[in-house]
Amino acid sequence: MPQIVPPYLLDRIADAGAERFPLAAEAARRSLLHDAPRRALRGAPPIMPLPRDDDELPTVLPDAPSTPDRRISDAGGRETLPGRLVRREDEPATGDESVDDAYDGLGDTHRLFDRVFGRDSIDGAGMPLEATVHFGRRYDNAFWDGERMVFGDGDGEVFRGFTDSLSVIGHELAHGVTEHTAGLRYQGQSGALNEHVSDAFGALVEQYALGQDAGAATWLIGEGIFTDEVEGRALRSMIEPGTAYDDDVLGRDPQPDHMRDYIDTADDNGGVHLNSGIPNRAFALAARELDGFAWEHVGRIWYDALTSGRLGRDATFAEFAAETVRTAEARFGAGSREARAVERGWQAVGVPGEPSEQAAGAAAE
Amino acid sequence: MDVIVQRSGGLAGARLTWEVRVDEQPDPDEWYILIEEIPWGEPPPVPPEPDRFVYRIECPPNEATLAERQLTGPWRQLVDRVQEATDPKRNAPLPGDPREASRRRPTR
Repeated sequence: MPQIVPPYLLDRIADAGAERFPLAAEAARRSLLHDAPRRALRGAPPIMPLPRDDDELPTVLPDAPSTPDRRISDAGGRETLPGRLVRREDEPATGDESVDDAYDGLGDTHRLFDRVFGRDSIDGAGMPLEATVHFGRRYDNAFWDGERMVFGDGDGEVFRGFTDSLSVIGHELAHGVTEHTAGLRYQGQSGALNEHVSDAFGALVEQYALGQDAGAATWLIGEGIFTDEVEGRALRSMIEPGTAYDDDVLGRDPQPDHMRDYIDTADDNGGVHLNSGIPNRAFALAARELDGFAWEHVGRIWYDALTSGRLGRDATFAEFAAETVRTAEARFGAGSREARAVERGWQAVGVPGEPSEQAAGAAAE
Repeated sequence: MDVIVQRSGGLAGARLTWEVRVDEQPDPDEWYILIEEIPWGEPPPVPPEPDRFVYRIECPPNEATLAERQLTGPWRQLVDRVQEATDPKRNAPLPGDPREASRRRPTR
C-alpha cells in the first residue's frame, strides 16, 4: 500500500516525533517530584490510598508509587496469545521499546486508578496486569480480549506501534475496568459508552502522568500512533470530535459531536467508535469548565457512576448522563458547580441528562 | 462474481473495504471452490471483544458478519485471498447505503 506523501504534510507533522511520550512524561515527572513531599520519593514507605468516600477533594500526589503486578508477553509477530513472557514486575527494562512502553504505561494506568480512585488494578483486588506486544504481522490495532491488553506493531505506513500512546494503553486497561464494573454491553449506545469510558480514563491516565490540568490537556486519544505521513494529530479528539485527522488516505475523522449527528450503522458493533464522540465531548467540556485536574472532579464523578451499580448493561446515553449528574450531586452537592458543569456538558451535546428528582425544578431545556 | 470484504471497528474505528472480481483472477476456479466450502449463515456467535475488528463478507447472494476471532478455516482463507488480491479502500461508502455516502458533517 505505497503512498505518495505531499510535502505540506511532512512539514506539518515534522514535529510529531518530538511529541513522543516517554521523554515528556519523564520531564513532567521530574518537575512534579520537585514539588512533592519528600515521602513520595523512592525508598519511602508507600502512601495509603485515599478513602473512597472522603468528603474532601483528594490531595493527589501524581507520582506516588503504587504496586502493580505487570506481566508483558511477546507474541513475536504471531496471532497466538499470550506469547512468551518477557518482563515481569520489578524486572529491568528489556530494551524492546514496545515491551518497555507497555510496562511503563500499565504502571501509569495502575497508578491513576489506585491513587485517585482507590482501585487496585482492573478488578480492584490487585489482579495482574497482562499485556501482549508484537501481536500479528503489521497488525493495525490494539484491543482488550477479556484477560489482557494486546498491541500490534502497526503497518509502519499509517500506524506506528500502538504502545507509543499512553492514552491508548489506558484506554485498553479501562475496558477491563468497565468489564469488571458496569459491564456496558459492547453494542450500540451502551457500546459507545463503553468506548467513551475507555477514552475518558485513557485521557486521564495521560493527564495524571504529565500533571496536566484540564486546560492544558490535549484531550486527544492516540496522539503519536500515526506515522509522520498521516495528516492527523491522533485517533480521536474528545473536545472536538471529528477533527482528529483529515487525510487523503485515512479520510476524515468521522466522529459526531452532537446527538443530532448520531450515526446508525451495523458496522463496528453499531458505531461504538463513532458515537463515543458525543459523550466524549460532554466529558471534556465539563472538565474544561471546571478546570483544575480533571481526575479530581469529572474523573471522580464518572468513576462513581461506573461503579455505582445503578447503570444497566444496556445503558443509553441519557441514562448514563443522568447517573453522572446524580453522582456529581452525591459527591459535590446538588447545585454544586461540578454538578452544573456536568449537566451543561450533556446539554451541549444534545443528551437529555435527566436531573435527579430533587433538582428537577431547576432543569434547563 | 464479486467478493467484498469490509473490516470495521478496531481501536481506530476505521473502515476498510476490499473488493475482488473473481472472474478477473488468474485462478477463478480455486476461488469458486473456496466460496463453495464456506458455511454461510453458520458462523458461531461470540461476544464482541472491545476494539477488535468486525468483518462483513459479501459474496452475493451470501453475506456474513464475523468477529475477528471467528475468522478461521475457509473464512480466513477467503479473507486472506481477498486481501492479497487487492488493496483496500479506506472509509469507503457502503454499497446500498446512500445515507453513508451522503452523510457529511455539518459545518460548525
